[in-house]
Amino acid sequence: MIAAIRSEWLKLRTTAVPWVLTGIALLINALLILVIFLSHDNGTGGPGGGGAFVSPGYTVPHTTQQLRNLVGSGFQGYILALLLGVLCITTEFRHKTVTTSFLVTPHRPRFVGGKLIFAAIAGAVLAVIMLVATVVGGGLTLAARGGSFSDMIHQLPAVAPGMILVFALFAILGVGIGSVLTNQVAALIVCLGWFIILEGILVQLVHSAEKWVPTGAATAAANLTRGRGSDFGLFNWWQGTLLMLAYGLVFAAVGSIILTRRDIT
Amino acid sequence: MPSAIEVHALSKRFGPVRAVEQLTFEVPEGRVTGFLGPNGSGKTTTLRILLGLVSATAGTATFGGRRYVDLEHPIRHVGAVLEATSFHPTRRAEDHLKSVAIGAGIPLSRVEETLDLVGLSDVARRRVGKFSLGMRQRLQLATALLGDPEILILDEPANGLDPQGIQWLRTFIRYQASLGHAVLVSSHLLSEMEETVDDVVIVSHGQLVLQTTLAELATRAGTSTGMRIRTPEVARLTAALAAVPVAWRQVAADTLVIDGATPEWFGPFAAQHQIVLYELVHERGSLEDVFLSLTHGFDAADPANMGGGQAGPAPMPGGPT
Repeated sequence: MIAAIRSEWLKLRTTAVPWVLTGIALLINALLILVIFLSHDNGTGGPGGGGAFVSPGYTVPHTTQQLRNLVGSGFQGYILALLLGVLCITTEFRHKTVTTSFLVTPHRPRFVGGKLIFAAIAGAVLAVIMLVATVVGGGLTLAARGGSFSDMIHQLPAVAPGMILVFALFAILGVGIGSVLTNQVAALIVCLGWFIILEGILVQLVHSAEKWVPTGAATAAANLTRGRGSDFGLFNWWQGTLLMLAYGLVFAAVGSIILTRRDIT
Repeated sequence: MPSAIEVHALSKRFGPVRAVEQLTFEVPEGRVTGFLGPNGSGKTTTLRILLGLVSATAGTATFGGRRYVDLEHPIRHVGAVLEATSFHPTRRAEDHLKSVAIGAGIPLSRVEETLDLVGLSDVARRRVGKFSLGMRQRLQLATALLGDPEILILDEPANGLDPQGIQWLRTFIRYQASLGHAVLVSSHLLSEMEETVDDVVIVSHGQLVLQTTLAELATRAGTSTGMRIRTPEVARLTAALAAVPVAWRQVAADTLVIDGATPEWFGPFAAQHQIVLYELVHERGSLEDVFLSLTHGFDAADPANMGGGQAGPAPMPGGPT
């Protein structure tokens, strides 16, 4: 299994995929950090919903919730963890390297399984990279503006585990979707279409669907160490985790069956 | 001799297309088996079924009784060069081989060795996107050799190679066989293979036409196809021929071809009838002729008659005229 993961990492790092995705993720993260600080300057309230209000007399995040929003500002990068999962399997089909991969690992469910485990790790690593970047970039900005760097660090244990978990879950979901839709363009369109447009519309129409859709399940999973239960009408963290995992694994199982029947000509 | 590869009653349909039909053959260890047939005769499909890339509709394709998918670390046992396999363009040759080696638990020292073996050491750090067809073919061969497999399956490996490359490939294939490895190599040209293979498996329309040794095929090629005779006395010759059970045809005003005839028979015959001859040519087929006739009109041929038991003149091994 370690060999499979090392092989996958070598395959992935010799393509542009991880570098471009990480670059985009960090760029988005930097913009969100900027927005947080600007909102404090303007007194308009930060992004991220509940509790992120700007306190009168402060020009930097200082409440627990504000600091958590800052530490978790890279959270939206989960969509890139999803794409990482999608790309790590669909790239094989796009460039037909899957022939060689199937010669090495002819048992196709095992091939998909290797990708799932690798993507989960890669997704988690992406979350860690974003957290480190946030602590460095956001933390230095905070300190420079008179905020408390150590207060921010204290919020790390509350935010980081949930974010790492969610990124891993999205990467697993990405591999699952990619194993069903091996056409790279189709898989990307479906993923972006669902998570950017369709899911939001569905939740607007059927409000009770919110806790069942992947983003709802992932948001619940993110509460891993925040000590909150099922707020916002969502599941609690482990239910959300299991639901997200189920989405990923069901797709991967369907993908494995399809791939097992597929002729590579 | 033990069989390294066994294909038994193998069939594959792609929708209405019968790509492979009831194909049975074996590939022995320590020999090079040419898998020959025109384009579209089911060679590639058969090889891909063997390698677990394409599923069979019926029948089995196994290595020592085990399917490819059931082998543990298959590329350590079976090395394959396939047509239309590609590489990720931004990946360096070396990294491609490393990713395969790591995935199959093969020591990384083999990467350098195989690159050396196929003559790609100088471009090991170059991205594969910049490789020529011949270089890709060599890289595929290096991939196949990584696990030092005892069985090699090569689908049209000479494609894209320059003449030196082809010569090198032949030597390489012979060397593999000398190590006791089994080599199954496909081609649509027998001429490309006749210096390399020990045995031939000839297919056409997805069906087996003939499995035999190259020596037997050469015997068949050396068999007389007939005598070409130019004579000013066509009328007297045809009258004389009417009395003997041979088929003949007139191909020019003064020229006849007598099917299956030999000089040993025709010389005395002409002398006996006192017929003047201007020209007497013994026509024999080449291996390529035999191959073409087998793969084109093979429905009419009876495989049971081929390769031995042939009436007629003494065999002339390797005898294209």
